[in-house]
Amino acid sequence: MTSFLTRRLLLAIPILIGVSIVVFITIKLIPGDPVAALLGPNATPQARADLVARMGLNKPIPLQYVDWIWAVLHGNLGTSISLQQSVGSLVLKAFGNTLILLVASLFLATLGGVVLGTIVALRPRSVLGRIVSSTSLGAISIPQYTVALLLLLFAVETGALPTGGMHGTGDGSFGDLLAHLVLPAIAAALTPMGIVARMFAVALSDVLAQEFVESMRARGLSQAAIVRHAMHNALPSLLTITGLQVGYLLGGVLFVETIFAWPGIGQQVYSAISSRDMPLIQAGVLISAVVLVLVNVVVDTVHALVDPRVRA
Amino acid sequence: MQRTPRIGRALPLALLAGGASAALALAGCGNVGQSPASVSSSSGSGDSTATTSAGSPSGRGGTLVIAMTAANIPALDTELAGGQGYEGIRFVGNQLYDALTRHDLRQSREIPPLEPGLATSWTANRSATVWTFQLRPNVRFTDGTPWNAAAAVFNFQRFRDPRFRWTSPALVGLAATYVGMVRSFKATGPMTFQVTTAGPDSHLPEDLSTAFMASPTAVMKEGVAGFNQHPVGTGPFRFSSETTGQSLTLVPNTDYWAGAPRLDRLVLRPMPDATQRIAALRSGSVNWAEYPNPDDISSLQSSGFQVLTNSYDHVWPWILNSSVGPTRDVRVRQAMNYAIDRDAMSTDLLHGTAEPAYQVAPRANSAYAVVNDIYRFDPARARALLRAAGYPHGFSLNVEYPTSGSGNMIPQPMNEELQKDLSAVGIKIQLRPIEWAAMLTQFVTGRFPAGIDAVNISLSFQQESFWAQSFSSTGPLNLGHYRNPRVDALLNQAQTVVDPIARNRLYGQAAGYITEDAPWLYVVNDRNPRALASDVHGFVEPRSWFVDLTTTYVGN
Repeated sequence: MTSFLTRRLLLAIPILIGVSIVVFITIKLIPGDPVAALLGPNATPQARADLVARMGLNKPIPLQYVDWIWAVLHGNLGTSISLQQSVGSLVLKAFGNTLILLVASLFLATLGGVVLGTIVALRPRSVLGRIVSSTSLGAISIPQYTVALLLLLFAVETGALPTGGMHGTGDGSFGDLLAHLVLPAIAAALTPMGIVARMFAVALSDVLAQEFVESMRARGLSQAAIVRHAMHNALPSLLTITGLQVGYLLGGVLFVETIFAWPGIGQQVYSAISSRDMPLIQAGVLISAVVLVLVNVVVDTVHALVDPRVRA
Repeated sequence: MQRTPRIGRALPLALLAGGASAALALAGCGNVGQSPASVSSSSGSGDSTATTSAGSPSGRGGTLVIAMTAANIPALDTELAGGQGYEGIRFVGNQLYDALTRHDLRQSREIPPLEPGLATSWTANRSATVWTFQLRPNVRFTDGTPWNAAAAVFNFQRFRDPRFRWTSPALVGLAATYVGMVRSFKATGPMTFQVTTAGPDSHLPEDLSTAFMASPTAVMKEGVAGFNQHPVGTGPFRFSSETTGQSLTLVPNTDYWAGAPRLDRLVLRPMPDATQRIAALRSGSVNWAEYPNPDDISSLQSSGFQVLTNSYDHVWPWILNSSVGPTRDVRVRQAMNYAIDRDAMSTDLLHGTAEPAYQVAPRANSAYAVVNDIYRFDPARARALLRAAGYPHGFSLNVEYPTSGSGNMIPQPMNEELQKDLSAVGIKIQLRPIEWAAMLTQFVTGRFPAGIDAVNISLSFQQESFWAQSFSSTGPLNLGHYRNPRVDALLNQAQTVVDPIARNRLYGQAAGYITEDAPWLYVVNDRNPRALASDVHGFVEPRSWFVDLTTTYVGN
């Protein structure tokens, strides 16, 4: 088990290096530079040239990358160009906020997905099964942005929930946070919930079609007991599916955070891209990649614990 | 505008948001419990929509929560606020700090005149290269540090000396936009400050209205990075708290030398999505929303919100190529200017949030003269000019436009409208969208990108240097290589004339030539729309991008 974990962690290192290089080069390749974005069209050419030199942006790109990665390895993520604050603290705070949204939507997606998937697997041809199946397909198909706007409309119409942000003015209570969390979490969770539901339904159906289930039925086990056993056997698939959704959610919260003004990493990276704030983009993407890799390691490890065949 | 358009990172999903806004508009939203406010028509160029209800003369207090278009809380250290465009200067710079000069933003009728700020008076030598400022006595920063010539010197060191311990490269870079001509500076007395410029700089006092003064004690106590999170100025508000990425809370500076603000609290919240801003306003979580989608205006008004607009120094043009291709011919450029229906765009598409630009100078610019409003919609005249220029069957142009930005307004539908109008006189337009940051980088090179014949970008005349940068034959932002020796002479002369009235006369004359030569397709000027809850009183929307919030209060 230890060697499995070590292997997985070592494999993560080249992935992270690759991610950092790809992001660095991609941002450098697309037109637009941070100094022009920071100083705006009315700045003098001299002011721009000075700032480019002082920020080291006139160095060759490989050298800029080496400078950056060297600093990162020393725990220094640099200073945000547009906000002039420490990138480390900016990114950590924002990622903490994203994590709250991520955990809430992952919880909703998994719970909803398992419930819907189980219904479809157990009653595939019933009216309820068909309705649930269509609902989960709808959840996958409907664009996240549209869902978010419909939820906004609901919030404005009913006044039941806040339309955006993470806290109301001057209120930092947990209840306040929860109220602000509901709508963005639903908007982010809907598509993954549909995916989990459909894939879990397939996994559970496969298990239910296996001979050991027949044998349990033949021995007179109750339906509940059979389902319990089948669910346990479908668990590795659920773990894999849910793990994959973390990646999807990390990408999806970018939209959701922007629409609901949720101050997370998605909104931060989005605004950093607009201003070509390289240190902030790099750190935001890097932390997302690290989390994604770690989540995959965790999922694989748990998978290996649950299913010994994987460890080989 | 962006420096207004950077306001403009703001509407990243503007197109999608349009549909949603319509949905929200239909929703009506009666849950805010507000009574209808007095809002008159938002079209036209007067100031009938430029003030909130006056409220009670003794009214004060309340919390004003502003939904900004910015995607983040601007940096808080003086010029760094400009890192979020002019919106950062408007809501952070102008509220936390003062500069040597300022504009009178408490009235909506006239273009805000320059008035004394932290300097009570100033004089220049004959060549407009040495400026002496008499500083305002008895002013203190909110940490108790006295304002004096030593503080002015400290701040100018921060702006101009990249090796100064208490500055940063970004601060020097951003400040250069306003004090780039300053060569040296010194205290000539305890309350007298002198600036020497590298050449004649007649509009230095104008530019200095955005050079904000920080408390030297606070900068040295907190350090450069720390001051950015705990700023101290002499402005109408002082820093209270910031929640990263979420909100910035300011409280009144009760000792403010120009009169303490009436509000209890001012909260700034970044909300880059227009739909989110309006949803927040309708649900009552903010009571001031910047730049609503034009389609939302009438529904907001009928729901009892106050929608304010006023002219300001903004222009939304196409920059044409005056040196190559069909637009090299002045008749072609004039024809294009006669071919577009600006009134229809302002009224039908933009619902009064903009006004037609019939000439180069916006109505809220001192160079504006009605006599230069020459480009009325006249397709027959456009066709005649095209025939005379040898293009009876028209021609094709590739036009690049930014995809987002509140200063850039709603770029795609606006450009499509122009495409339709120009097509009617035979000019085929290929529209090429480009992301805003990428466009800015191209724009500042002073050249058209390869294969592009015209660029749509919204700009501001906020700084006088913009005239020479854009229309002087050697101007760094003169993308189309427009050249008129008479304009060059007038702009050069304006650089040396200290008297603002005489100087504006020169700009007015230059504007006449520039309008006639049509190096740009003049389209519209934004009217700076904002929506306020009905219980926000006492605010006056000036003929400026900037605002004075000292007279505003919230409550019934």
